[in-house]
Amino acid sequence: MISLSHLTKKYGAFTAVDDLTVDVREGEVLGLLGPNGAGKTTTMRMVTGFLPPSKGRVSVAGFDLYDHPIQAKRKIGYLPEQPPLYPDMTVRKYLAYVAALKDVPAARTKAAVSLAIERARIGGAADARISTLSKGYRQRVGLAQAIVHEPPVLVLDEPTSSLDPQQRSDVRQLILDLKGRHTIILSTHILPEVSDVADRVVIISRGKVMAVDTPANLAGRLRAGASVRLEIGAGAGGLTVTPERVREALAALPGVLDVHAAIGAAGVITARIDSAVGVDVRAEAAALVTGRGWPLLGLSSDALSLEEVFLALTRDEREGAA
Amino acid sequence: MRHALVIARREIESYFVSPIAYAVITVFTFVSGLFFSNMLVHYVRQAALADAQIQKFGRSDLQLDVPTVVLAQFFQNEAFLLMLAVPLLTMGLVTDERRKGTLELLMTSPVRGIEIVSGKFLGAMAFLALMLVPLVPMFAFMGAGGNWEAGVIASGLLGLLLLGGAQIALGLLVSSLCENMLVSAIGTYGLIVTLQFLDTGGAAGGSIWTRLLGSLSFYARHLNSTRGVVAAADIVYFASWIALGLFLAQRSVEALRYKRS
Repeated sequence: MISLSHLTKKYGAFTAVDDLTVDVREGEVLGLLGPNGAGKTTTMRMVTGFLPPSKGRVSVAGFDLYDHPIQAKRKIGYLPEQPPLYPDMTVRKYLAYVAALKDVPAARTKAAVSLAIERARIGGAADARISTLSKGYRQRVGLAQAIVHEPPVLVLDEPTSSLDPQQRSDVRQLILDLKGRHTIILSTHILPEVSDVADRVVIISRGKVMAVDTPANLAGRLRAGASVRLEIGAGAGGLTVTPERVREALAALPGVLDVHAAIGAAGVITARIDSAVGVDVRAEAAALVTGRGWPLLGLSSDALSLEEVFLALTRDEREGAA
Repeated sequence: MRHALVIARREIESYFVSPIAYAVITVFTFVSGLFFSNMLVHYVRQAALADAQIQKFGRSDLQLDVPTVVLAQFFQNEAFLLMLAVPLLTMGLVTDERRKGTLELLMTSPVRGIEIVSGKFLGAMAFLALMLVPLVPMFAFMGAGGNWEAGVIASGLLGLLLLGGAQIALGLLVSSLCENMLVSAIGTYGLIVTLQFLDTGGAAGGSIWTRLLGSLSFYARHLNSTRGVVAAADIVYFASWIALGLFLAQRSVEALRYKRS
């Protein structure tokens, strides 16, 4: 449905996107994951025909974006990072305007606008001025704008960034609802987000593809990035738990690379365990702590930060090369 | 060109929620009225004086056709006012779309660059035409005095639209080059004021080059229309500026995609 081949964007000596090749099958949701400045937005802009690539080709629904830009653009719905809204228009007028730009026949515009409003769940604000809407609502209007002409392809650039957690989960749910109706490319810098919605993930860093895989496989490969946090009560009931003893005990577990432990003001020892690739130490750590009679107050697995994902990925590559 | 009309319509609607547009149309109408009544009073006095001289001495050097003179002066003044008003109407045309991020919407829609700039141009032209509507009661006021001079009025209005069109096309071009609205307005002032007064340098005779340059002046070309003369050369001249402005604006808008942002 979407095919990027050897897509490259250079700004002078700086290469924003470097030789990106990927095919997206019909109905698939492809997640584009990378830190800020990795080239996600540049890639999205090339896929939608906003930016001309320095090299390489994009084809959407069988139309080459360079040879047939008008036909290809009709097939795309695009939500840029900043939703392209006119604050002085009402939601309904705005969507009708976008529908006209996207060549929705005038006779069908009204129905198309109503359907987009329904699917983006903005019925309550349909006749409000966009300037009066909250950020989450604006994002949904942006989403409605992208689907108003029922394009086979949807390109969503960081659709949930800058939203609060509730709005974020709402928008994520909307995207899940759109799944199946559209082929979707979606970019984000938040890992759990991609694993929720994407069938396949492309990880890019500094414009280069680091990995292409399903979220499950990636998560398996990237377990190394996880760290476990334990909270242990110290000093209660005459116990003599010290950070040193915790560290010593936990470091002896198999697969543990490093342990940091410190005591907080409330008499709680916080320990952070970094473990090796593919090792989950949560069960063993909990058993060890409770086995010694130390009060285990909390245990959590920190979400993978992208930083750690990349460190893990590049470490794998270095090891593979050695 | 359906897209151009769609874009023009949105542009007009956006003028009506813009305080800038309301301020421009209000001040333009007020100052136009001021000029008009001042001139009318002045020339009617002159005419009365001339009549008195004719009665007393049998002849007068002041003889004049009041409606024609007033209209010619009036339309020249209006041209000056347009020069002040147009940059305020065009400064946001592309600049504002860039600021809002909506240029990305336009450029990723199945819309051609020329449709975008034509739509913007038509929207601003429609607003300009609307600005001229409050002038009609002034003409009607003069018409009530006996002489409408409909031909001069029609040619004067056409002249203003042509001149304004050239100014708008150039303002649109400047707007596509600027990221800041104020810079866009100042740049447009620079460009159209220069073009308005290009002939002043060649006024004292001068070489063929200064005269050639002078012949490109907006002012000189606009003068005919204020006297009821509709010349094909003038129409071609202003239409050429409009075409050039739109062509360059379209190239400039397309080129915005190559800029790193």
